Amino acid sequence: MRPVSTMLAKIALLLFAAGGFYLLAVHKHQQRQQARDMPVKLTAACGEKLRKYALAPGERYRSPYVAQRTGTSVELRGYSDEDVRAIQRGCNIIDDTQGRQAADVSSERWNSTRFIRGTHLACTHCHQSAGDKQDAHGNRLKGSLSLGTSWVMADMYDRFTGLLLPYELRQMQCYINSSNGYKPNIADDLIRDVTAYSRFLSAALDLKIGNHYEEQGVDEIAASATLKQGDDYVRGEALYREKCIHCHGAQAAGREVNAQLIAPAIAGPNAWNAQSRNYFNYVSTILPGFICRNMPLGQENTLSNQECRDIASYIGNLPRPAGDRQGPVMALRQQVLMRGMPLLFDLMGTGQTEMPLQQSGRPAP
Amino acid sequence: MKALAVKYRAAARRSRSALGGTLLVGLTLALVTIPQAVAFSVTLAGVPPHFGINAAIWGVLFCALLNPSRIFHGGPNNSMSAAIGVTLLPLCAPFGAEYMGLALTLGLMAGLVQLLFYVIRPLGRMLDLISEPVINGFVCGIGLFLIFKSITTFGGLPLNTEVEWPLWIAWQSFLAVLEIGNLYAIQIGLVTLVTCVVAQQFERLRNWAVLSGIAAGTMYSQYLGATVGHANTLVEQIGNLSTFGVISPSVPLFSQEAMPDIISMVPSAVTLALLGLFQSVAAVRRMNRKSGHYTDSRSAIRADAISNCLLPFLSSLPTCASFNRMWLVHRLGMHSRIAIAVSALWVLLLVLYFAKTIAIIPMPAMAAIVMLLGANMLKWQDIKPHFKHRGEATVFLVSFLSVLFLDLFDAVVLGSLVAIAYAKWQQAHPDVSLNGGVMKIRGNVYYGSLPVIESVYHGAIARGVTDIVIDVRDCHYIDPEGLRWLFMTKARLWGLVDRRSGQDRRAARRDGSAYPERRRSSPDQERTD
Repeated sequence: MRPVSTMLAKIALLLFAAGGFYLLAVHKHQQRQQARDMPVKLTAACGEKLRKYALAPGERYRSPYVAQRTGTSVELRGYSDEDVRAIQRGCNIIDDTQGRQAADVSSERWNSTRFIRGTHLACTHCHQSAGDKQDAHGNRLKGSLSLGTSWVMADMYDRFTGLLLPYELRQMQCYINSSNGYKPNIADDLIRDVTAYSRFLSAALDLKIGNHYEEQGVDEIAASATLKQGDDYVRGEALYREKCIHCHGAQAAGREVNAQLIAPAIAGPNAWNAQSRNYFNYVSTILPGFICRNMPLGQENTLSNQECRDIASYIGNLPRPAGDRQGPVMALRQQVLMRGMPLLFDLMGTGQTEMPLQQSGRPAP
Repeated sequence: MKALAVKYRAAARRSRSALGGTLLVGLTLALVTIPQAVAFSVTLAGVPPHFGINAAIWGVLFCALLNPSRIFHGGPNNSMSAAIGVTLLPLCAPFGAEYMGLALTLGLMAGLVQLLFYVIRPLGRMLDLISEPVINGFVCGIGLFLIFKSITTFGGLPLNTEVEWPLWIAWQSFLAVLEIGNLYAIQIGLVTLVTCVVAQQFERLRNWAVLSGIAAGTMYSQYLGATVGHANTLVEQIGNLSTFGVISPSVPLFSQEAMPDIISMVPSAVTLALLGLFQSVAAVRRMNRKSGHYTDSRSAIRADAISNCLLPFLSSLPTCASFNRMWLVHRLGMHSRIAIAVSALWVLLLVLYFAKTIAIIPMPAMAAIVMLLGANMLKWQDIKPHFKHRGEATVFLVSFLSVLFLDLFDAVVLGSLVAIAYAKWQQAHPDVSLNGGVMKIRGNVYYGSLPVIESVYHGAIARGVTDIVIDVRDCHYIDPEGLRWLFMTKARLWGLVDRRSGQDRRAARRDGSAYPERRRSSPDQERTD
């Protein structure tokens, strides 16, 4: 029989710990509520986009985009103050996932950096123009990975695994593989806000649930759609030096000038991992499709299918982090390659150069 | 005549008290098993609660019938359930038809692997080579893993669908519970946890701690439901069990579409089989020493293997020994297979007649219980002895950390390899001392340890020691290469007797030669001073 005092001390400690945990949870919940009640400071791209779509609290919502394009006004259920803030936060997360434009990342971007390993990648790098890419005339672009059209396929079956993938789970895959990070809980605000924003886009563009749109995902480029010259690493490298090196850098490790990101890494520690579907050696059709439709910026759709596959093959052969299900040996191997290869390139002096920047911050053409 | 009547009445009284005792012990065991069965199946394995309950009925019954041990309590097991969840969650959505089918297939595959361990005798014997630090490292690692795994359910959040990098996910889940968890769920979980731990402090209530915790959590959940409304609390409950039948036949999934998944599950099936066998063999070994009875570990393997081959056809989780319930049987003092079989029947009766009561148990209470069981697996008394020895501590830590950082299959392989490597390393480093001209060897003389012995021997010669006597009285084992070396040296040998392995001795007996030729022909080679 142990002494009563020990027992009482144990019980007191337990009650103290349980009470402390509960009070901490209450405090964190309050902090979260405050962050959600705060007015949202929009990034430049989000400010412009949401103004264009006339997002405002109200009983009904009418999209100016739809009115302008079709000449008819579609009236939808409106948004509350809370909804508007969620949509604004969602847009901010897409446009500035790393919180480079935020004063307080943890509250303004709701801890998004907690779930990303590198310091480069943001959602908008693949889902360009904050997930809603249009040309100068307001036409939505084919293969632009639009978030609004992605939302209307809210619960789709994954083509690769056959699993039913709700929109929230698809976002998690982005965090795990495309951002080489960790998954947030499915109920996390990060996921909810992005879902709210994507859903708003689908309303603003008047997209119909279950429909297929051209701007949904990328149109994949299989080897059969090329000149059938094979995916050539050497041709890919030459094309990379010609078309991509100006922004993405000699080692494809991205380019940062004065803490400003010019272009994200597409290889190395800050890039997507080897389990992502952007990884050419895992899924060979998606990255070429993305390159053809979305790259180089401002000169989209100028590369041929064969060229896109060659470039993708070159990028796929550069070292990048291992995926979280590929085991510790693969992770170690990739780390050694990622750290060692740039040094070897430097020693060999491969002569790859980066172009000087224009005053606007963009590389000279 | 009167004396006979007295004797009869005494015997009747004894048998009545024995019957009463058996029924009471069976009921206690059943009441302890039901919450565990439900918690393991729902929070860990991702299958409906009747899977765990079937394991608590049929798994326990089969083990009681097949295993001669009088305190072996089979049934659902936490680490096996967790392994099922870890394997299947990345493949399909939990609680779905495909998921349940694959869970049964995984169980059957594990049962077949276990059957191999029974049929191939040396394979079963290999399990005895898994040392205590490896098993303890495993048990502690899985204990921590169970705590991490339950955090999201404790906070009323949806389960993360894929479970990789458990440590990191656990930290994320902990932060998520603090930031976005359901506060009502957290309250219920904390009430359960506190009640359970407080009850554990009292000797009399200890066996009822789990039950009282769940009762308190359920009552608080009902109170919240009455005051705030279940629609506002949004706390998940176990749900309807009223369709539970005495026998729920099922067929494991072996469709052509599922074949890639089934093939990818093979390493997990081996892990699952090994997890079960490790625990059963370790539990039998430990309880043999505690209770003074002896049960062959092979019969535990047979019982587990046959049960696990049958259970997938009865909608059940796989079975293996449960340390905590076996400990309870031991403490209740009723060492009887009948009491254990009766506990299975009690579970059946309770589920048939109290299904509605079980249905309202809130999930956060279940998660709190799993967390507590996980914490109980981390026992400092069991771990402490390993830290007194550097080698054991290394083996323990490797085994413990590999559960947290690798997947379970890699952890099993790595832990076993480290244990065997450690044992080999120990054997290859005998204690060789040179005192005057006497070189004393404590340990083994075999191909692995000869370099160590030779270096000391030649060191002595280099120092000018001429007349060396090798004292092998404290050698455990000398292999043929060791014998050849001993006879080749110019040293005198001291205390050489037959220290060949059992296998070599038996082979020599079969050949009719008791000793190597050299030794028999020249007995003066071995000079005992």
